[in-house]
Order: sequence, then C-alpha cells, then structure tokens
Amino acid sequence: MDKLMSLEFKIAKFLRIGVLVAGLLMLIGWLASFQWSGNPLEKFHSYSQLPVFLHLELALMDENWGILISYAGLLALISLPVMRALLTMILFIKQKEFILAGVAALVVIGLLISFTFGIEL
Amino acid sequence: MFGLILIFISIFAGFLGSLLGLGGGIIVVPALTLLFGVDIKYAVAASLISIIATSSGAAAGFIKDHLTNLRLAVLLEVGTVSGAMVGFLLASLISSSQLFIIFGSFLLLSAIMLLRKKGDSLSMNDHPWSKKLKLAGTYPGHKGVITEYKVENVPLGLIAMFFAETLSALLGIGSGIFKVLAMDGAMKLPMKVSSATSNFMIGVTASASAGAYFLRGDIRPEIACPVSVGIIMGSWIGARVMPRMPAATIRKIFVAVLLIVSVQMIMKGLKHG
Repeated sequence: MDKLMSLEFKIAKFLRIGVLVAGLLMLIGWLASFQWSGNPLEKFHSYSQLPVFLHLELALMDENWGILISYAGLLALISLPVMRALLTMILFIKQKEFILAGVAALVVIGLLISFTFGIEL
Repeated sequence: MFGLILIFISIFAGFLGSLLGLGGGIIVVPALTLLFGVDIKYAVAASLISIIATSSGAAAGFIKDHLTNLRLAVLLEVGTVSGAMVGFLLASLISSSQLFIIFGSFLLLSAIMLLRKKGDSLSMNDHPWSKKLKLAGTYPGHKGVITEYKVENVPLGLIAMFFAETLSALLGIGSGIFKVLAMDGAMKLPMKVSSATSNFMIGVTASASAGAYFLRGDIRPEIACPVSVGIIMGSWIGARVMPRMPAATIRKIFVAVLLIVSVQMIMKGLKHG
C-alpha cells in the first residue's frame, strides 16, 4: 500500500468508527428520552439561554441517562473533525511529509485559537 | 410522529448535503423553523451539528472511493480557517444587506454559467504547487473508469477558500456552495472531486463554531440527536450513490440548489436594504 493510500485508509477508518460511536450514543440517548406523544420540539418555540453545564447538572439530578448519553454522543461528533485534523498532522509527520504536516499544524493552531478566544468560526 | 418526520427530513438533508458537498444545514434550518416552529437560534445550532454529521458521515466512503482529495483539502483548510476568523472579526463592522444582494447576484450568475457549461471539468495542467505537494490524483470518472486529473491555479483556489469562508461568516450561510464553485471554476477539479473534497472540509470550521454553541447550551440533544442520526444515515446513502451517479446529474442538482439559494439571498438583501 503506498503512503497516500495508507494515510487515507487510516483517516477513513478513524472517521467511520468515530461517526458510528457518536451516532449510536445519540440514537440510544434519543430513544431513551424520547417523548412519544405530541410535539417533542414544542418547548423550543422560544429561546432561553442556559449553559450546557447547567443542563448536565439538571440531567444528573433527575438521573436522566438518556440526555446524558445524548450529550456524550454530541460531544464525540463535534470533536471528530478537530481530532481528524490533528490525526492528519501526526500522520503527515510520520510519513516525513513536512510541508503538509506544517500546513495541517496551521489548521490545528487556527482551530485552537478559535476555541481559546471563543470565536465562532 | 414528529420525531419520525424529523428523522426522514434529516435523512434527505444528509443525502443531498453529502452529494453536493454543502452540508445538511440548507434543509435542516428551514425544516426546523418553518415546520416545527423551532426558534432560529436552536435551528442554527442544530444546522452546525448537521454539517459535521454530513461531513464526517460521508467522508469515509468518499475517501475509500478516491473521490476526496485529502492532500488538497488539508492545504485549502488553511484558507477556510483563516477566512472564518477574519469573517468573524468583520461581521460586526459590515452591513450584510448589500452583501446579500451582491453575492446573491454572483451566485445567480454562477448558476447560469454552470447551466451553459458542457461536460465536466478535467484539467491536464498541473500547477507548480500541485506538483510540489503531489496534489493531482485519480478518481472513478464516467462509468467508473479511473481518470487522472491535475490541479490548476492552486494559489487562486486558496484565496477563493479564504473569501468563501469570510463571506460565509458575514452572510451566515454555509460555505460549501462557494467552495464547490471555487474548486470547479478556479482549480478545474471534476465535479465529484469538488463535492467530496468540499464535504470533507466543511466539518472542520463547523466543529469550531459548534464548540461555542455547545458550551452556551444552544445545541439541545432533543433536536440535535434525531437530526444527526438522520443526517448520518442520509450521508451514508449519499456516499454510496454519488460514485455511481453521472457528474452531469450532480451538476444539475447543484445548479437547482444554487438558484434557490441565490434568489433567497437577493430577496433577503432587498428586504433588509
């Protein structure tokens, strides 16, 4: 297997497993806390801001495992592209493709800056 | 019942989003707001999740089928991430109503140009940067025949990615449309390679934004979970169908979406102007 194919294979495998894990957690969490009657989205007709930590605290107090598992799935999904960018950088370094490793590092640094400063890209 | 309808809409959004490299937000936002009456803030947060789900869900299939140009995607991501940061900084300074009219018209013109275009882009001219970074590749072209392609105008493509993402941040629309147009128009990549590579890239900037929405508590599992599950399923279907679908058909669907988005943008600009 040539270098590029091996790199592609590893990234594809990482994404496939990552999506499957995130998707399963979200499916289990959603089914566990699903409201079968009426419109489950009715409470979202108006906006009320409450940080995620408070949502988690409430779910923990209520022992609402469905919501907690859903949040774990969502977190896994959100972090996938960033992890993928990091993995790409590491794989390029391993393959001694230093220009593309440097380029991938710039992307990771850009993402870290945006996280640190709370910039919504 | 509502949950099932949402799942089916999300499957369709994931299918179309992965097929065209645009993400699923283009369908998820209007469905959530108009059909389910969800507040726009929750809908936008869910649309970011749907972009990540489309991008990551279809990526493995597209990479396996050699449709995604991974090396090019990594290079262009520098343009998209920096463009998104500039767009974020400019957003509070620039009035977007004129921008909506200008770029809505630009997209409308691009749609007309694409309609007139005969055949798929396929370049045999490799830009020096492409030679240096080995960006050229092969992909399953017409009837699955392995076809070689080169990459033209790499610096122009990089600049186009920067502006695509800046504009996307300023206008609050997904950047996939501008990305596919830039790869097709400037870099002369085949349509399927443009869509798959755009699909691969859109997840990165969406995930950075989604992090902020997640911490703020705007990404609610009751909405985001069924949407993501549906989108992932749809993107798997998209990744299976796209390699077999003629490039001309994908281009036609892309033009139709482009026309709808451009008219919506112009109307939005006129309304707020």
